[in-house]
Amino acid sequence: MRSRGDTVHLEGHAKQAIETGRNRLVLAGCLVGLAFAAVGARVVELSALRGHGEPAVATASPGTDLAVGRADIVDRNGLLVATSLRTPSLYADPTEILDPEDAAFRLSTVLSDMNPAETAAKLSSDKRFVWLKRSLTPREQQAVNSLGIPGVHFMDEWKRIYPQGSLTAHVVGFTDIDDRGIAGVENSFDDLLRGGREPLNLAVDLRVQHIVREELARQVQTFGAIGATGVILDADTGETVALVSLPDFDPNVAGQMDPDSRFNRATLGVYEMGSTFKIFNTAMALDAGTVGMRGGYDATHPIRISRFTINDDHAKARWLSVPEIFKYSSNIGSVKMALDVGTEGQRAFMAKLGMLRETAIELPERGRPMVPSPWRPINTMTIAFGHGLSVSPLHLASGVATVINGGIRRPTTLLRTDIPSPGERVISERTSRDMRRLMRLVVEEGTGKKAESVGYMVGGKTGTAEKVGAGGGYKRKALLSSFVGAFPMHDPRYVVLVMIDEPKGTKETYGFATGGWVAAPAVSRIIARAAPLLGVAPVNPEAPEIRRDLMIEQPAEGGKRLASF
Amino acid sequence: MRRSTILWFLIATCLGVALFMVKHEVQQREEQLAALHRQILASQEAIHVLEAEWSYLNRPERLEALVRRHLNLVPMDNQKIGAVELLPMRLPPAGAIGDMPVDGLAPTLAGGPPLPVGRPLMLTRETRR
Repeated sequence: MRSRGDTVHLEGHAKQAIETGRNRLVLAGCLVGLAFAAVGARVVELSALRGHGEPAVATASPGTDLAVGRADIVDRNGLLVATSLRTPSLYADPTEILDPEDAAFRLSTVLSDMNPAETAAKLSSDKRFVWLKRSLTPREQQAVNSLGIPGVHFMDEWKRIYPQGSLTAHVVGFTDIDDRGIAGVENSFDDLLRGGREPLNLAVDLRVQHIVREELARQVQTFGAIGATGVILDADTGETVALVSLPDFDPNVAGQMDPDSRFNRATLGVYEMGSTFKIFNTAMALDAGTVGMRGGYDATHPIRISRFTINDDHAKARWLSVPEIFKYSSNIGSVKMALDVGTEGQRAFMAKLGMLRETAIELPERGRPMVPSPWRPINTMTIAFGHGLSVSPLHLASGVATVINGGIRRPTTLLRTDIPSPGERVISERTSRDMRRLMRLVVEEGTGKKAESVGYMVGGKTGTAEKVGAGGGYKRKALLSSFVGAFPMHDPRYVVLVMIDEPKGTKETYGFATGGWVAAPAVSRIIARAAPLLGVAPVNPEAPEIRRDLMIEQPAEGGKRLASF
Repeated sequence: MRRSTILWFLIATCLGVALFMVKHEVQQREEQLAALHRQILASQEAIHVLEAEWSYLNRPERLEALVRRHLNLVPMDNQKIGAVELLPMRLPPAGAIGDMPVDGLAPTLAGGPPLPVGRPLMLTRETRR
């Protein structure tokens, strides 16, 4: 061993080898050092310099919002109409079941609607998954759990619940067992409801809907009718505040419903409306200028065309002014008015009013009007008093809204809208004002007196149509009695339509089952009950400004004029 | 040499312990957070169920039946709805009634502004009956 102080001097070959080794070491050291420097720089960069690499405030992990199967549906005041609740569903894995017969028997002791034989067959199949029962109640779940059968499991599922029951059945519709909307709004907004979290806001007001439904049910019962429909529209926005069709069903147990009750008379059914169409006929003639409010027609003789005779139900057999034709619901006068406008004019007017196409309502159940093709002069004559063109009750209500709101047609909607669509003009504002007066006249002194609701200035038109029988002819005993009106008539805000299907006259109505006797009283009661909820204040009918707005001149033949209010 | 080794060893141990404590704390808080989230979800679901029940109990049909059974309420008579304008204004002071001027203004009180006299209630055809 050499002492520490000694230096070794190597010469030649050995020195060169050591020199090479050192150089290599230095190089390797440099490389490693560089790598460490890079790592260190990166650490500094990430931790100190890059502040935005990590958010300054930690946020809660997602999933704090309850993910429901389908979005809720609420009415215009935010009350729940449809919602989804989590319910347990019972399924089984047959391969795990030891004794299918016994398991099925024991399950049937706690689940009353379960058939042991069917269940046993399901449990002995060789599948890995069979549904036993969907949507159990908590009590049933507890009972099944305490049976302790191996191979029987629960799975949470979302079940659609309709807390309002049958009240909104035809509007909201229902879903199938797999939560797909198959009727009503549930179907037309299926994608939106399935993806969304925000509730769908309907224009329907549940309180008003209830009033309409109750009054309709009362009329159906009193007059032994087979059905009824009622609609309330906001005249200025086209929103559907109430839409009822009787008979209805409970969407919570949609599977057990009678097919007849699924039929939506308000939007899917198309009917010949009868005299209520004279609103459109008169508006058309006034707007076209073929006759004025002071004009009139001779209604002395019935009109005969081919094998038909057009007669008046409340025949006056004299010259009638336009207000009188409307008030007495004269078919002869109406036909003459329509003939003056002409077939083409009538068809164009009906098209502009939306009577020849489906309504815009957001429901899959929309009836297509039955339009005469070709549109002959005889059709022009019958359409003048509401026969020969079948439309849904909603068409009628929406048309009346157009006529009285100043002449603007807006699409009817089931959704609450804050900004109404601009719409398109169908008749002039002047014609609209005249129509308001005429409709008020019908309630004041015409066929619709029973629709009056003091203070609310109801106006409207009655209609009684005979239904087309199976053989094609009209059935005299099967009537569609309707009243379509609006209130308050000096500044219309809501359109109300009530239609009773096949009412039978009673002793109180002296055997009559016409619109004025059957539908008009329901309208009166609906308005009296619903107007305070809709924010319409009653007015003094004698107030001068209201008398002025609704004043009408009823000229007699020869220029004598009678002022009427 | 020996001292510095001990120092470094101590520092390393302290850091290790601190790191462990921080990690433990974070873990605990995360568990707490998850528990809170579960609780929030459970509460939201409970609220959801209660909302459904609330609207079920608030069906107009049911409320009407309950009102009929337990209360004396009847549908509002529209004759009983008035407007603020129909209310008479404040009556003039009792002493001033004797010399009521004819121009519709109550006598002024010591230079005060004239008080309007109450307008008579407008009667409709129905209320007069």
